[in-house]
Amino acid sequence: MQSTPQSVGAASHRTRFKTGTRFAGWICLWLTAALVTACGGSSGDGTPASNSGFIVVTASSADGGSGVDSLNEPDRPTTTKDASRFLHQSSFGPNAAALDETSRFGPRKALLRQMDLPVSQYSYTTVGEAARAGIHSSGSRDFCDAIAGGDSNCWRDYYSPVPVQWEFFRHAVSQPDQLRQRMAFIWSQIFVTSARELDGSYGFAFYHQMLRDHAFANFRTLLERVITSPFMGAYLNLADNDAQDPNENFAREMLQLFSIGACALNEDGSLLDGKCYPTYSNEIVRSYAYALTGWTYPVGGSDPWCDNGCRGNTWKNARYYQGAMVGKQVGHDGAARTLLSGVALPAERTPQQALARVLDSLMAHPNMAPFISRQLIQFLVTSNPTPDYVARVARVFRQGRYTDAAGSIGNGQPGDMRATVAAVLLDDEARDPARAEAANYGRLREPVQFIAGAIRGLDGVTDGDHIATEWGYSGAMGQSPFVPPSVFNYYPPDFPLTGTDLVAPQFGIESLNATLTRINFANALIYWWSIQGSEPSDIPGATGTRISYSRWESLLASPADSGPMIQALDQMFTSGRLGPAGIAAITGATDQWTTSQTWLADQNPPSNWKRERVRTALYLILSSPHYQVQR
Amino acid sequence: MNRRHFLRHAMLPLAGGVSLLGAGEVAAQSDYRAMVCVFLYGGNDGVNMLPPASADAHARYAAARGGVSIARNSIIALDAELGLHPSLAPLASIWGEGKLAALLNVGPLARPTSLAQFQAWRDSSDAGLMPEKLFSHADQQILWQNAHTETVQLRGGWGGRLMEVLGGQQQAMSFGGASRFGGGRLMQELILPGPGSRLEVQGYFQGREHGARRAALTSLLGDGGNQVLGSRYAGLQREAIARSESLGSVLAQAPANGTSDAANPDISAAFGHLAGAMNNPIARQLYQVAKMVKQRTLVGGSRHLYFVSQGGYDHHENQLTQQAALLSQLGAALAAFWSALKAIGAENQVTLFTESDFGRTLKSNASAGTDHAWGNLHLVMGGQVRGGRSYGTYPSLVIGGPDDAALNVWEQQGRWIPAVSVAQYAARLVDWFQPGMSAGDRATVLPTLENFASSTIDLNFMTV
Repeated sequence: MQSTPQSVGAASHRTRFKTGTRFAGWICLWLTAALVTACGGSSGDGTPASNSGFIVVTASSADGGSGVDSLNEPDRPTTTKDASRFLHQSSFGPNAAALDETSRFGPRKALLRQMDLPVSQYSYTTVGEAARAGIHSSGSRDFCDAIAGGDSNCWRDYYSPVPVQWEFFRHAVSQPDQLRQRMAFIWSQIFVTSARELDGSYGFAFYHQMLRDHAFANFRTLLERVITSPFMGAYLNLADNDAQDPNENFAREMLQLFSIGACALNEDGSLLDGKCYPTYSNEIVRSYAYALTGWTYPVGGSDPWCDNGCRGNTWKNARYYQGAMVGKQVGHDGAARTLLSGVALPAERTPQQALARVLDSLMAHPNMAPFISRQLIQFLVTSNPTPDYVARVARVFRQGRYTDAAGSIGNGQPGDMRATVAAVLLDDEARDPARAEAANYGRLREPVQFIAGAIRGLDGVTDGDHIATEWGYSGAMGQSPFVPPSVFNYYPPDFPLTGTDLVAPQFGIESLNATLTRINFANALIYWWSIQGSEPSDIPGATGTRISYSRWESLLASPADSGPMIQALDQMFTSGRLGPAGIAAITGATDQWTTSQTWLADQNPPSNWKRERVRTALYLILSSPHYQVQR
Repeated sequence: MNRRHFLRHAMLPLAGGVSLLGAGEVAAQSDYRAMVCVFLYGGNDGVNMLPPASADAHARYAAARGGVSIARNSIIALDAELGLHPSLAPLASIWGEGKLAALLNVGPLARPTSLAQFQAWRDSSDAGLMPEKLFSHADQQILWQNAHTETVQLRGGWGGRLMEVLGGQQQAMSFGGASRFGGGRLMQELILPGPGSRLEVQGYFQGREHGARRAALTSLLGDGGNQVLGSRYAGLQREAIARSESLGSVLAQAPANGTSDAANPDISAAFGHLAGAMNNPIARQLYQVAKMVKQRTLVGGSRHLYFVSQGGYDHHENQLTQQAALLSQLGAALAAFWSALKAIGAENQVTLFTESDFGRTLKSNASAGTDHAWGNLHLVMGGQVRGGRSYGTYPSLVIGGPDDAALNVWEQQGRWIPAVSVAQYAARLVDWFQPGMSAGDRATVLPTLENFASSTIDLNFMTV
């Protein structure tokens, strides 16, 4: 799949036809009977979507249609509580509009609608921002002075992840394709790359856009894109890996983290016999390392320090992060190798053929379905799913089709992510509120979810300033996007909850400082930034971070009754889990503010009892453990 | 189990780990001891950190390593056999003082293991014979931190278990992020911030309304929603608020813009006021430890266990440059910490030791780096270290040699089968930390130690 020029083209078409998605979806459906693979990069054999003819208009997302017309899906109204729970699981958090819509649609239709929405686009991947790649393509030895004109923010705007981190939060708060964004962020925590070791702002944008574009693709396609990503190639040293003494780094982490895991699993995700039977030996790791030699950067880079040939071997292209890596026979291993799942690699082969066999061997491995399914459940719904829940999702992963009374979702190809995500979110264990009462249920809300969810729920906007970077609020909470400390992510999926038999991945970043930072973020949002917004900034596209109270103030009809306001916030943020004691505690604080406190009108900006009651309730709810733990 | 010990254990699940000590413990501090685990995440290449100094050993090393070896003429010779990476030059004088020791070829082991036994046991899936998931970062980090051979059943670390059996002490305290090391069965490690971080709850003002809001927050944090994750999280929140009040001022003390930390001029000077080359993560973490040791009466407890970390050692590529940069931070930070301990008169009460995921292959790869291996070399530093010498046996440095963990010829990369287990390494540290610990408690902390009872290797690297 040496499709570098096409990928660039596809990106531009994506932009141009962004608004044509609905139409494209219909075309896609109509074509399905005749041309099964035309509508996405998700054909079962891993062939990426071709770029000929019809496909130009379908390129709004690389993973094509749902196979179901979400517009014709009937409404199946549900309770506000269920809608709220669904939105906490499947988006960065509810706002009033999403809560109304999801209550009316019901989870199934809401899910299908989410999958079909146009894909949010990182601006650095668009044609107008092509100059961002100049750090690798200009051939200049002093890019910032010579090309960027001495831009005082050159490092920030061309090398750092910061512009993409800002945009991550802008989109998380304001863009409608919420589930896709959540999924892309999950993939970024499974297929980890990190600004700890990489720079190139455009590289972050293209990599994380790829994860968005393929968020609901077939897992094989997604994995293929990850393997051939030049950004990943740079991170785990697959780029320029030579058959002579190959580097084992990528091969090992691909097996352990990206596909099957280190220990043999039952279908329900539990360890075989409760112990670790290794899924691969060191010998197998080396076989995969050899099988994936010979890949280098896409054409387009220019190394100013190196004329042709000085890289020691002319098969290696200069560093460049746009498009897919290219396989070169001269750098590729030429010995017969044995891979997993009984897949043999003949000595006579191309790098591309070896890649296809690698993917065959992983897709056929019995560990993959439970290994990936369990993590998706942990990221979306609950940290300690029952084995039966994992087994149900794993079966759908394997079959590529989710079926319930209303029909089926997915194209029947193993690894279909639409089917798998539907299986995670529509399962009884995700939906039945009685199941959520189990003592072990739920997951700690991740910091980015906490931040984006608070702003979204309060009808707010953000530009990401003060929030997005390692030295902003998300970093202080231990989860600045795209900067995990290592390929093992911010936290491991099996982080033990001390004193229990449970795992709780997100507890792995809860330092005392991170814990207090969540509370202090609520303070900043409500008491420092509030409706007038965070302090003015000169960052590109600055809006500040600001929220609105009017929706909640309007629920305070009488000073005698804060109940409707508090209950509405309870539904929005904790899916109605505060309970009588929690509501009583909050009411005790809100009702300290009364109509007699006329001095509030003299504050800057002016306030009144309604505003202060809303702020008090919001602060307490956002700080509460009830909100931190999503159930 | 004395009464306090019992109370501590009984209290923990309810309080979510909060354990502010009373005045009673302070009296015991004349007996004060602290240990500092420095974890080098990513798998530090110990062979380059402590390269062979003799001509023949260096020749074998250089032949296998190629371009990733340290040139013999730039190695700092510590003795006839052992050298020091040039970026660790600040540590040479501590070695000379006899307060720095080297541990050779240490790693996770279930029992003493020969090459033939490795070959026989490696596919056994029996953690009683072979450590689980060799060569995997996350898992070998756990095995180093729990001094065991399996990663799932034993959920805490050897540090956490140690503090738990002592009873009546502070939890293990980490300035290096969450670890397995400091967690016990019930006791959670305290994960604390760097210098200058204000561990505080912001935004409360005088007045009845704010007081009511604070009271409501306290009430909400006492609840947690009647569910395990929620109540554990509420426990963390309560702990964070309580610690912000008890330790916030100590934690925040810091040099400002390269000028002295007014509360700790002695430590500040030793650390170059955390400016320039000292403005790096490992130096900043050790700065915090030095302050906590100095202000141990305020912190409470007579035994402190600290965890700090430095990341980025996974040098599959371009190792020479990258490792040198990290080791120069490490060397400067350890030397500064040593100076600070002397300045506050605590050098005989503190022992620092290193751990890391694993050693790295002797053979280099096509990217001028090395891959994941097993046995590794480590450093121990402190006033009661019997230093200026090494313990254990240097790896053979022979590809396919008697300690190269491989079966087939093409697998042989120089992955050393450890001669000393992590449990043995930890045991000597534990015996220094708490002399006279009962055999039962020792076995609780280090359950695999009994498998090494017949070992004759001299590991007596502490003077008391």
